[in-house]
Amino acid sequence: MDRLSREEVLHVAYLARISLTGEEIEKFRVQLKVLMDDIDKIKSVKDYDDEMMYTPIEDNTRLREDVVGKMLSAKDATINAPKKNGSFIEVPVMINE
Amino acid sequence: MSNYIPTIGLEVHVEIKSKSKLFSDSANAYGMATNTSVNVIDLGYPGTLPTLNKEVIRQALRACKVLNCDITRKMHFDRKNYFYPDNSKNYQITQNRTPIGTNGYVEIEVDGVKKKIGISDIHIEEDTCKSAHRGSVSLLDFNRAGVPLIEIVTTPSISNGKEAMAYLTKLKEMLFYANISDCKMEEGSMRCDANVSISKTDVLGVRTETKNIGSIHNVGLAIEKEIERQEKVLETGGIIREETRRFDDKLGETILMRVKETGNDYRYFIEPDIPYLELTDEFINDSLKTLPLLPDELKKKYSEIGLSSLQIEKLINNRPSNDYFLGLLEFKTNYVTAVNLLLSDISSYLNKHNKVITDTHLSYEKLVSVVDALEKGELSNKNVKDLIDSLMERDLTLEELKKEFNIKNITDDSFIKDIITKVIENNSESVNDYKSGHDRALKYLMGQVMKETKGAVNPKKASDMLVKELNK
Repeated sequence: MDRLSREEVLHVAYLARISLTGEEIEKFRVQLKVLMDDIDKIKSVKDYDDEMMYTPIEDNTRLREDVVGKMLSAKDATINAPKKNGSFIEVPVMINE
Repeated sequence: MSNYIPTIGLEVHVEIKSKSKLFSDSANAYGMATNTSVNVIDLGYPGTLPTLNKEVIRQALRACKVLNCDITRKMHFDRKNYFYPDNSKNYQITQNRTPIGTNGYVEIEVDGVKKKIGISDIHIEEDTCKSAHRGSVSLLDFNRAGVPLIEIVTTPSISNGKEAMAYLTKLKEMLFYANISDCKMEEGSMRCDANVSISKTDVLGVRTETKNIGSIHNVGLAIEKEIERQEKVLETGGIIREETRRFDDKLGETILMRVKETGNDYRYFIEPDIPYLELTDEFINDSLKTLPLLPDELKKKYSEIGLSSLQIEKLINNRPSNDYFLGLLEFKTNYVTAVNLLLSDISSYLNKHNKVITDTHLSYEKLVSVVDALEKGELSNKNVKDLIDSLMERDLTLEELKKEFNIKNITDDSFIKDIITKVIENNSESVNDYKSGHDRALKYLMGQVMKETKGAVNPKKASDMLVKELNK
């Protein structure tokens, strides 16, 4: 099959919390299938997981000493937030998801 | 209805004590002003890279040791992908496939029966930011984002609420004593989710997850209520759905939060921004050598030096007094008397003045001199009560304080005997009562002796002599 099912595309869209038009769904059915095939190729590499080959560096262990560094002020920490409430960042409530 | 067998597993999140966060060097501190213990890594800014905190790995290794787990030597971190405002990266860095500890256990005792609760794994992960829900909006404070956590997952080996409570109490005690976490459920530094299913056969039933239960007592209650609920549903022909619930302690029941969809779709993959971690023997041994004595070891040690089980329990529940007492063991003195003092007059003083013992002038030498004086009868319990503020607050020896307070205790046996003879002569009715088996009369007579001596004799010594005289 050269494309994903409509349900598969809608599932991916749900995970990303985006809504798609009918036209977009059809477009992604083809495009995502190409992507999936490429991922399958990577997965087929032998021992990909077992030997932790995800990094090219040898002697990987890098640990940071437990020392506190510079921190932001509440003003700077919230400077890019679309909405603020005092020092808090305000977002739409998502309690019952 | 009761022939269902419950199967329970607990997932406990514990915040690790460290100076800085798991992947960033902002402070891991509770109670700071909103969004001030934060940097660009905690906020998930694009282009920032996480760096792994050495002390957190050491703490997690200590937790593995304390909980009898096998240690994973080579591990990586994983991304758990989900959309939710409590995590601005849209993924949490955790350990899905190579948890640092596996295959451990905690031994509990319920109603005199010992049982091992299996631990399937301990993994390290970052905490999310704290969200407070206000009507149609949520307010986010990122101070907690990136705080190091370990998640301790049991096997489904717990059979009821009582066992769950015993397990959590033991877990809390051990992690607290090992200085891994302060384990304060009320401040959220220890949080518990309970997975519960019931079945009449060997095939496990469908499980529900009750999240974020606020106290050990409520975990026990929530489990019992959830078992009852599931039994009712099944007995009336219903089915149990895989769902997330919460415990409402006012209603005393679990409430549905959400039905799980087609299982969690977190699309875990290896975190590419953190190189894999390979632990050497040297690093592991170095991390474990600072582990202090744990409650089970303390209980054994204290019982060997003659402390009662009540004293042991009280001492272990009072961490600062316990730590101080461990130092006292370097000195030779009567430890039972010393513990009595620590748990009575000294504790009262510390509670009243909201102090810890190390902030006072009560050196070990001074405490030993007080204990020895009590033993020799040179000081009475009443004297200690009179002196306690000065003993704790002033840099003076016991001898200097006795002089200042004009405490000249009566250790002269013949003088005590004269007083006792006088008391016996003046209270013939009570003496007769005592002789006819009324123990309360002895207390009255002792009171008279103490009154005559203005509390300046050792009560034990005087009591022994009084009984001897009465029995003549």
